[in-house]
Amino acid sequence: GSTNFVQKTNAIIVSQRQKGNPLLKHIRNVRWNFAEVIPDYVLGQNSCALYLSLRYHLLHPDYLYFRIREMQKNFRLRVVLCHVDVEDVVKPLLEVTRTCLLHDCTLLCAWSLEECGRYLETIKVYENKPADIIQGHMDSDYLSRLNHALTAVRHVNKTDVVTLGSTFGSLSHVMDASMEDLARCPGIGERKVKRMYDTFHEPFKRVT
Amino acid sequence: MVQFHEHIISDLLEDPNGGLVVLSSGLSLPKLVANLLSLHSSDQGTLLILSANPCQRKSILISNPNPNFNDGPTEITSELPSHQRNALYTSGGVYFITSRILIVDLLTSRIPTSKIAGILILNAHSLSETSTEAFIVRILRSFNKNAYIRAFSDKPFAMVSGFAKAERIMKCLFVRKLHLWPRFQVYVSQELERSPSEVVDVRVPMNSAMKGIQKAIIEVMDACLKEMRRTNKVDVEDLTVENGLFKSFDEIIKRQLDPIWHTLAKKTKQLVSDLKTLRKLLDYLVRYDAVTYLKYLDSLRVSESFRSVWIFAESSYKIFEYAKKRVYLFTKTEAGKPSEQSKNVSGKKRKLKESSTEKEASSGGVFVQEILEEPPKWKVLRDILEEIEAERKKQESSSDEIVIENEDDSNGIVLVACKDEHSCMQLEDCITNGPKKVMREEWEKYLLSKVELKGYQGRHKGAKKKTKEPKGIGILDGVVPRTGKEDAEVSSTNKQENDALLAAASAVKKLSKKEATSVDTCQQNVVNEENAPGKRKGKSEKPLQEKQGIEKHNNNRRKSKSIDKSQVASPVNEDEITGDNTISEDGLLEGEQRTLLAENGVLRRHTEDISADAPTSQRTLPPVHFHALESDQPILDILKPSVIIAYHPDITFVREVEVYNAENPSKKLKVYFLFYEDSTEVQKFEASIRRENGAFESLIRQKSMMMIPVNLDDHLLGLDYPIESQSSVTQNSITRKAGGRKEAEKEMQVIVDMREFMSSLPNVLHQKGMRIIPVTLEVGDYILSPLICVERKSIQDLFGSFASGRLYHQIETMVRYYRIPVLLIEFSQDKSFSFLSASDIGDDVTPNSIISKLTLLAMHFPRLRIVWSRSLHATAEIFASLKANQDEPDEVKATRVGVPSEEGIVEDDVRAENYNTSAVEFLRRLPGVTDSNYRTIMDGCNSLADLALVPIEKLADLMGGQKAARTLREFLDAKYPTML
Repeated sequence: GSTNFVQKTNAIIVSQRQKGNPLLKHIRNVRWNFAEVIPDYVLGQNSCALYLSLRYHLLHPDYLYFRIREMQKNFRLRVVLCHVDVEDVVKPLLEVTRTCLLHDCTLLCAWSLEECGRYLETIKVYENKPADIIQGHMDSDYLSRLNHALTAVRHVNKTDVVTLGSTFGSLSHVMDASMEDLARCPGIGERKVKRMYDTFHEPFKRVT
Repeated sequence: MVQFHEHIISDLLEDPNGGLVVLSSGLSLPKLVANLLSLHSSDQGTLLILSANPCQRKSILISNPNPNFNDGPTEITSELPSHQRNALYTSGGVYFITSRILIVDLLTSRIPTSKIAGILILNAHSLSETSTEAFIVRILRSFNKNAYIRAFSDKPFAMVSGFAKAERIMKCLFVRKLHLWPRFQVYVSQELERSPSEVVDVRVPMNSAMKGIQKAIIEVMDACLKEMRRTNKVDVEDLTVENGLFKSFDEIIKRQLDPIWHTLAKKTKQLVSDLKTLRKLLDYLVRYDAVTYLKYLDSLRVSESFRSVWIFAESSYKIFEYAKKRVYLFTKTEAGKPSEQSKNVSGKKRKLKESSTEKEASSGGVFVQEILEEPPKWKVLRDILEEIEAERKKQESSSDEIVIENEDDSNGIVLVACKDEHSCMQLEDCITNGPKKVMREEWEKYLLSKVELKGYQGRHKGAKKKTKEPKGIGILDGVVPRTGKEDAEVSSTNKQENDALLAAASAVKKLSKKEATSVDTCQQNVVNEENAPGKRKGKSEKPLQEKQGIEKHNNNRRKSKSIDKSQVASPVNEDEITGDNTISEDGLLEGEQRTLLAENGVLRRHTEDISADAPTSQRTLPPVHFHALESDQPILDILKPSVIIAYHPDITFVREVEVYNAENPSKKLKVYFLFYEDSTEVQKFEASIRRENGAFESLIRQKSMMMIPVNLDDHLLGLDYPIESQSSVTQNSITRKAGGRKEAEKEMQVIVDMREFMSSLPNVLHQKGMRIIPVTLEVGDYILSPLICVERKSIQDLFGSFASGRLYHQIETMVRYYRIPVLLIEFSQDKSFSFLSASDIGDDVTPNSIISKLTLLAMHFPRLRIVWSRSLHATAEIFASLKANQDEPDEVKATRVGVPSEEGIVEDDVRAENYNTSAVEFLRRLPGVTDSNYRTIMDGCNSLADLALVPIEKLADLMGGQKAARTLREFLDAKYPTML
């Protein structure tokens, strides 16, 4: 019945258990308030998070498992926010990783309380955000696209794009340029010339 | 064969296990390898050569000492079907092979390991414990203890770049002997100095502008270094400007900062990149002519101005000022008496006189006066060539016999060695057409591109309305704090200057248009047109023509024909007219020859004796071949020159010349070195010798203290990986062929995508005792179980693939096909384990932050499991742990996942080998191209160059729609933004 507490709200709901966690100081871009909830943080109707310090995990290796088991499955996204606060991470992180993976939790690692706070804030702020900023839709203006395309060739940088554009006048002329003409461009050495020329002239599929 | 090569080989052959040879750069490693190969006989077994780059492969083939007996090694490629590869592996021959093919064939037991005599590994300096070559050697050794491993490096300084690097490399290759062959080794130096060639060291003074630029660059570098020190992130001992002159400089800083690279503040990263830029500027100063240099600076300013800090340092201003002064002077005159002014300065020939008057009228008394300073080395080069020819003529006349002898053994070609192709073409042009004409052409090109750049800037500013006022940092922020009036004045001056340049540009356009259209221009012009660069190939002319088309409306300003003629005649030097006819013929010939040779991939050009028919002996030049050192061709052996001019002296090339001299004692070799006096060019040259010697001294010390165990095999199997490894080496021996003799012991299997063999993880997983099954996967990189599929990302990959949207797409398909899709974020052992520095977290939630991107990914794919791994080895442990209670993955199923059904499964498909991956990536970044149509585009056109010419109708067919086709076609043909 704990889900009753979870209503539509613009604030992060923080479990009473988190009282005294210095992490709370770093949640500044979003409102938050205490309430009786099972997860440490309820970040929206579908998402919640547990906070785990690796140092604490070393002392209480079973803690994470019990907390996850307690949490019900009615959150689509269940984050374990792992504060990496020990030097020797390999073993404890392996255990945490395994537990998360076997019990359907998403592990996010953070190296400072600020970073922990920022993850919580971001999940809340982005509650209804579409994924377009990670879908690769970049600026659609000509120059950005030209940069994007030409820099697919290794070692070609933005200065080279300016040089190529102003020398050849259009992308199709660049793609069609002779090795010699490419080599005449200042700043574009043998390796870059070869790489570009091969990219443009070698067939997409090598013949078998 | 030089004798010290014999020494090296006999030393190396002493130990049947093999060894590691490190020799000075330029001591003809390819020849050494070729000689070693010639000792191979097929009854020893098959010999495989790993990690040779294409140039080395070619040089080894060319150096084959007895071409009659042995065709030289051929290449085993993934295109050969597996049974053919198998036949080659058993043939006893010598083959080049890539480590990716070899490791996959070893893992799938396609190689009868007992038939392998040994492996030669080139570029040993790039090896490490986790590299695929080490993986190969470990597996090979586990099956065939008698196979030898012989590794080579001619980059000694790269051999000392980490702690006990040489020793670690030797251990992972199972070799005990380190052979060091520095240039100062006694056999080497004796042989190379026995009959030294005649050396002429020419010191060319730099002119004052060049000196000024050099000084300014060094000042800015110094400022950047000071700023760098303030960050307290780097050990400042190594950070001297002197170090800044070499390649090692980037490496020094990179090596120091790498562990914390992704936690560095933007500012620090920018400083590192700025230092690199400055180093380039120093280098280009002695390589490029004044106009090209200025053009490069302009491009830099446009592309970097908002990011870099160096541009705002006080001395940077001087760099730009001097660079400009070498090309043109911008003068403001009192409005009203512009014509007098221009007469005052008309000491210089000014082709654009008329146009500049025109422009003065329009922009109120400003004009551009051309300076077009020629690089001082040009004249010196010409003098030397004339001197060589004069000497030769003298010899000819003194004794005819000598001439005949000379003809026999040398073709009389003078080799001019430059750093890059660009310099080669330009110098050739300069010798053929005269320096004035070359400078003039560069200037015209510059003016035209100036127009394009203007457009770029305009667009750029327009797009981002309020860009933050750019500024430097700390002491680099030395620029005049601009205040109202001053600012306005500065910018108005800039504007006038730009206007003047643009006016000059449009005059050039008009001129070139007339040249193209009017048939009756004087003959010299036609001749020179044919010789002009970039006109040999018809295509390159297009952009120019287009521009001319736009110019049409200016037609009414056409000048009278008489002026036209004088304009055209002026750039042609009187004294060159004599040879013109010859030039044109040779020019054509040369063009043909060039394409022929270029197709062969061997060499480009000889400028034939351009004035053979010219009566004036004073100006005759010998035949010259220009060679770009960058191209790494074994030019000396191909060309056999007796006179060499090192236009850009380089230590490796000097060594090559020495070896060539030692090999051809009968030749009276003469070598000229052209250094700019008091330049960084000299310092760089000297320092590269010091650096190499230092590296060898360090290697000699290391060698004396090396702890290589007697039985390396036991050591590597037993000590480093105490528990797993005993069984690990035999793991892959339980192959499908061997049929599970030991099935009782449960072995873990991991299915690995072919492309992942570029990384070290398969090697480490294998060390951990897992069986590696290489296949081509459409979805994911590693399949751990029927449920678990892993996409691996290193930190850099992660950032990059977020930006391109590729990660989103990969996760999307992985989530579609697997119950437990995993994103593995793998940090590197020697880098810090954290995402970003505290200072980079910032105050707000911003879309650009990696935190935001990762969060979005997690929110959109709540089933995605994220694994954070400290290192390769940690990843291996995590994999083992995740597999613990899971079934083993199914190879056949895994390869079918996500594969479009009509494609089927290609056996042995090593994707990177079968696809031009960089072209595919390029294609997929073009607008209109989508995941669903890029395959059909690739089916429909052969290459990107083809695509550039495909008409829109065909594109519509290939892309499944008019709209997409139009988007793509328009993008390809869009005019790079210009203002006019």
